[in-house]
Amino acid sequence: MAMVPDGSTDVMLSARGVVKSYWKGRNEVPVLQGADLDLERGEMLAIMGASGSGKSTLLHILGLLDEPDSGEVHLAGERIDALADRRRDALRNRAFGFIFQFYHLLPELSALENVLVPQWIRHGPISYWSHRARLRREAQDLLERVGLGHRMTHRPAELSGGEMQRAAIARALAADPIVLLADEPTGNLDATSGQGVLDLLRDLNRERGLTMIVVTHDPNIAQQADRVVRLAEGRVEEWSPALA
Amino acid sequence: MYKYLLCWRYLRTRYIALASVISVMLGVATMIVVNSVMAGFAEKMRDRLHGILADVVVESYTLNGFYEWQEVMARIQAVTGDEIVAMAPTMECPGIIDFRVNGEVWNRPVQIIGIQPKERAKTGDFAEFLIDQRGHQIPPSFDVPDELRPTTTASELLKDFPVDRQNPDDLLIEQELQQEMKDQSPDSGAILGYALATIHQKGMEDIFIAPPGTQVKLLFPRFGQTKAEASLLAATTIGYFKSGMSEYDSTHVYMPLEALQQARWLYDYKRGVGAVNTIQIKVKPGVDLAALSSRIQAALDRMKPRFYQVQTWEQKQGPLLGAVAVEQSILNILLFFIIAVAGFGILAIFSMIVVEKTRDIGILKSLGASTAGIRGIFLGYGLLLGAVGSGVGMAGGLLFVHYINEIEQVLSQITGRKVFDDSIYYFNRIPTIIEPMTVIWIVAGALLIAVLASIWPAQRASRLHPVKALRFD
Repeated sequence: MAMVPDGSTDVMLSARGVVKSYWKGRNEVPVLQGADLDLERGEMLAIMGASGSGKSTLLHILGLLDEPDSGEVHLAGERIDALADRRRDALRNRAFGFIFQFYHLLPELSALENVLVPQWIRHGPISYWSHRARLRREAQDLLERVGLGHRMTHRPAELSGGEMQRAAIARALAADPIVLLADEPTGNLDATSGQGVLDLLRDLNRERGLTMIVVTHDPNIAQQADRVVRLAEGRVEEWSPALA
Repeated sequence: MYKYLLCWRYLRTRYIALASVISVMLGVATMIVVNSVMAGFAEKMRDRLHGILADVVVESYTLNGFYEWQEVMARIQAVTGDEIVAMAPTMECPGIIDFRVNGEVWNRPVQIIGIQPKERAKTGDFAEFLIDQRGHQIPPSFDVPDELRPTTTASELLKDFPVDRQNPDDLLIEQELQQEMKDQSPDSGAILGYALATIHQKGMEDIFIAPPGTQVKLLFPRFGQTKAEASLLAATTIGYFKSGMSEYDSTHVYMPLEALQQARWLYDYKRGVGAVNTIQIKVKPGVDLAALSSRIQAALDRMKPRFYQVQTWEQKQGPLLGAVAVEQSILNILLFFIIAVAGFGILAIFSMIVVEKTRDIGILKSLGASTAGIRGIFLGYGLLLGAVGSGVGMAGGLLFVHYINEIEQVLSQITGRKVFDDSIYYFNRIPTIIEPMTVIWIVAGALLIAVLASIWPAQRASRLHPVKALRFD
């Protein structure tokens, strides 16, 4: 079995009947109650929903950060939700790129080092040092691409919110993922920075044909996606601005 | 790859972890210093004990000893062949010494040892411990120099007598007065233990209460057929025995063997031989002393069963050497607790760091880090802390041991009092021995404790759920 599915089908990522509940004390809180979703190759999909509707939970399950209670997740036709930990770790490293609302950069590392982390995880010491120059150059190119060429040696504490999110996008792209999963990527940014980040994601989608899911509760952001779905009562339903 | 880079980065940026490094460092350095000093002291003590006692000692169970010591020595020679270098017969017995100090008679319990000084010198370092009042080494002999002989009528007459060297009568009178002087003053020289003859006061020079020439009287048991009786023997102090072992220096009095035998009524004038109760044996280097002493014991048992006891010097000093070894072990166990405390420090600090780094752990997992990888970061971090702490501690400890005497001098100057009083131990310098295996064990122990202390926090970190970790506030 290849480390990352080759994706010969048009549906890149899909969820079938995904159920997930949380326990708060003795009370079971159902979040997803049979969510179905198909994400096509090169598509930019926005998932909307009220707070607590399960948007992030669905994203985490799709990106193998969490496991569904039942249901299936497929990546390029291959079921991935029941894989062994080792394969799940590898897929998170190679197939998915995550962008979080609070950037989640490692504070001890510079912007460049943060972008290199996925490569550090992927490579052993010998492999990394033998490809070090190339990997650093690629990371630098990514930072240049997101407009942080002049901030490479800065630590997260020395960057603005928009810059941190751009660094996080560069990190998500570093492993050359097949699906980008963005959880409220502009939720912590002012309008200008948020639009800049969104434009960047849109450009990446168009230039690279990068398949991506953007979780948001902002209809203005959702409008910029190819397709919008909404999570309501634990299920996914198609949504269009006209319905708003 | 990320494990090593993050370990190294955490070490450089998490200053709180330096507290663990410092505690491991201090623990390792302390253990190295204490072990080196204790090993140095123990070795010095062994050297001195071995210097006083010959390699193997044959003793009779009775204090009265045995006359047939020449036959015993011949038998020993026969069963050991060329493994023996020298043998010396001695007579040891407890007694009381008294001498005058400022017009008062002082007395003390002593161990009186009759020896043939030249023979005794061949069986150990005995001769190296003999000094005069100024601390200069003196030859192993009991001859009393004329200047140390006490003032007697004859000596006074001799001092005032105008000798005409051309007059044969004058020369004859001088000769007779000299003989008279020898008859009037004791012919026996005695070598006293240094601590017996001096008073030591901290920070001051030792005061000689029995300077050379002091007339001492020794009281000890003599051989009696029906009951124990005491003999008295006068002697002139001619030198001192300073081994550095206070137990010996404060009790030993060395006398000529024959004088002691005669005074104890253990001398056969017809045969011209006296009894001895100890034979000191020096053995060639490399010979198994325990095996040799067993062979001698077996041979002597065949001569006279249950009469002789043969022991190596280590067996004879077993309780003292054993006590030092036990002391060293207990001290090591106690000191190891210092490193164990450092281990708990690592555990506490790591637990704190894991909490602080919870979100980072979630980030790493979202980027593909495995459970084993996260565990590896913290185990590696613990190992690195242990390695840095024990490495710096080892270097610091070895440097401290190397310059321990210079450090002692500086501390003495700062505090205004001697930290290491050399007059207590009779060493000029603090003795130290660095045993490489001990250092290796200490460092390995510190590393092991550091890793063990990081297992639990590392395990906790690795089991964090990525989503919960990412949402951690």
